[in-house]
Amino acid sequence: MSNNTKKWFSLNLNRTKKSEACGCGNNASSCEEKTPKDGYNQVMDVSMSRRSAFKKLTAGLLIGAGAVSTSCSVISGDESKEKSAIEWDEYFKGNYKLMTDKEKNETVNRLVRSYELRTGKKINLSSKDAEEDVLFGYAFNISKCQGYMDCVNACIEENNQDRASQMQYIRIHEMEDGKGFNFEESDDNYYHEVPAEGHFYMGTQCFHCDNPPCVEVCPVQATWKEKDGIVVIDYDWCVGCRYCMAACPYDGRRFNWKTPEVPEEEVNKNQHYLGNRLRKKGVMEKCTFCIQRSRKGQNPACVEACPTGARTFGNLLDPDSTIRWVLENKKVFRLKEDLGTEPKFWYYMD
Amino acid sequence: MKYLKIAIIKKVMLGTLICLFVISCKHTEEKYHNVMEKIEGESVKYKAPSVSSPMINAEIKTVLVEEGETAFLIPERKSQISSYNCVECHTEPLSVLMQKQVDKKAAHWDIKLNHANSEIMNCATCHTSNDMGNLHSLTSTTIDFNYSHKLCSQCHQKEFKDWKGGAHGKQLGGWSPPRLSNTCVNCHNPHAPQFEKRWPVRFNTEKVKERQ
Repeated sequence: MSNNTKKWFSLNLNRTKKSEACGCGNNASSCEEKTPKDGYNQVMDVSMSRRSAFKKLTAGLLIGAGAVSTSCSVISGDESKEKSAIEWDEYFKGNYKLMTDKEKNETVNRLVRSYELRTGKKINLSSKDAEEDVLFGYAFNISKCQGYMDCVNACIEENNQDRASQMQYIRIHEMEDGKGFNFEESDDNYYHEVPAEGHFYMGTQCFHCDNPPCVEVCPVQATWKEKDGIVVIDYDWCVGCRYCMAACPYDGRRFNWKTPEVPEEEVNKNQHYLGNRLRKKGVMEKCTFCIQRSRKGQNPACVEACPTGARTFGNLLDPDSTIRWVLENKKVFRLKEDLGTEPKFWYYMD
Repeated sequence: MKYLKIAIIKKVMLGTLICLFVISCKHTEEKYHNVMEKIEGESVKYKAPSVSSPMINAEIKTVLVEEGETAFLIPERKSQISSYNCVECHTEPLSVLMQKQVDKKAAHWDIKLNHANSEIMNCATCHTSNDMGNLHSLTSTTIDFNYSHKLCSQCHQKEFKDWKGGAHGKQLGGWSPPRLSNTCVNCHNPHAPQFEKRWPVRFNTEKVKERQ
C-alpha cells in the first residue's frame, strides 16, 4: 500500500508481507496528495483537534473491529481473510467519477475476485470509458411496435434484473387510437393477443436526458451524465434516497426494495461497472442503453430483440448514422419537450 | 483630495464590474442550449471513433447494397433458402413439370400467397417460369435472389426509402460502422408479408398485485 494515489486505508492482515500504515489521523499529512480529497481522505485527511480525533478513532475502531475480528482470526482461512479485505477496500473506495484509471481497474478486479470467491465463477467486468466523438441517441417507431414485449424480456436477462420483483426498465404502453399519448388511460400490463384492434404501442425507459433532472437532485453525486450521453449510477455510492426517482418526469428510474436475485445460471457475466453488474438492496438502477454492450459497438439488448425493427440506436454525432437519418428525415418528437430536459430518445411514425 | 477619493472609488467599481463580467461569462458548463445544437456543433469535427461494429454476425455472409449515396451490408440470401438452387428440381418448364406431378403435395405445398390480391400479384409477378434461379422485375429484368429488395421496392417505394435511410427495418451488427441491416425478406415472409398477431411474451404479475 505504498502507492500514494490510494484514497483509503487498506487492511493487510496476514495475507501480504508489507504493511505500511499511512493514516490514523495524526500522521495524515505524511500521505497528502494533490488529487481532490476522496474516499478515505475525506474523513481522515482533515485537521482536527485531539478530542475529535479520539472520538472519530473510537467510532472507526468499532466499525473496524468486526472486519478485523474475522480477518485476523487464526481459525478463518485465507479466503475469508481475502474476502473481508476486499469488503474493507470496497467499503472505503471513492466515487467512481473521481477514480483514476488505475483505481477503476483495482475496484473492478476486486469485484471480479469477490464474485469468484462467492460463487467460484469468473465474470467479465469492464470499466471502459466513453469513446471520443460518440453521443448515443435512440429512436422509437410508434407505427411499428406491435406490443410483443420481446424487448422487456431481453432487457431483464441482459441487465441481471431481479426476477422476483419484476421491476422492469422498459414499459410498453398500449394506447387507444385517437387519444394521443394518454398515459392515464393507457395500459402497460396487458395480456391478450397483440396488436389489439384500435390500439397502438409505445415504449418508455430512461431517456438519457441531456439536461437530466435526476442528476441535479442527487445529494451524493452518485448519478451523472457520461461523455457519450449515457446517464449512469454508481451503485456503490448511491444512498438510496430516491430523490432522482421523484425528479424524473418520465418514470425512468427503479429502486431495489430487496436484494436482487438472479439464478446463477442466468447471470449475464458480461458486465460493466456502471451497467449490469449485480446490484444490492436499497440502490437505484435504470436503463443504461446497455452500457456494457453499446461501449463495445453493439446495440442495446432491446434493439437486438425487437422483431419489428421499431427501435433504432446510434451515434448522434456521426452524420451517416441511421439515427441521424431518422432525425433529419422523419417527423420526430420527444416526450414533455417543454420541460427542457432534452431527452435523447425520439419517437416517430411512418 | 475629494477627487482622488472619487477616482479610487471609480477604479474599485470598475474592477468589480470587470471581475463580475469575467466570472459570469465563464461558460464552462454547457456550450449549447439544447441537444440538437449540441449534435450539430459537435458533429462538425466528427472523427469516426475507434470502436467498430463487433462482427457478432461474422458467421453471417453479407452482400453490399449501394443505393445512391448510401451503402451498407445485408445478409446474403441464397445460402439461406432451403431448396436453393432451384434448377436442381426445375429442370424443365413449369407446365411440363406440372403434368408429370403425381403427388399433389409437391415441394411448395406450404406456400399460400397472401400478398396484395390476385389482381395484382401471382407467383409469376416475381418468379420466372423459365429461370427459377432468379427473380424478375415488372419489366422482366432479371433480379438476383440476394438483391430481392429491388423487387419489393417497385411497389413499396416509401418503405424502401425509409429502409435505405435506417428508419424502417432492423440493424443487425451494432450501431457502429459498418452498417449491417436486415433486408426485406429477413423480417417479412414475401408470400405473406404481414406480421402475425400473437401473445406478448411477458406479463407482470407483481404489477397486478400492486394495483389491487
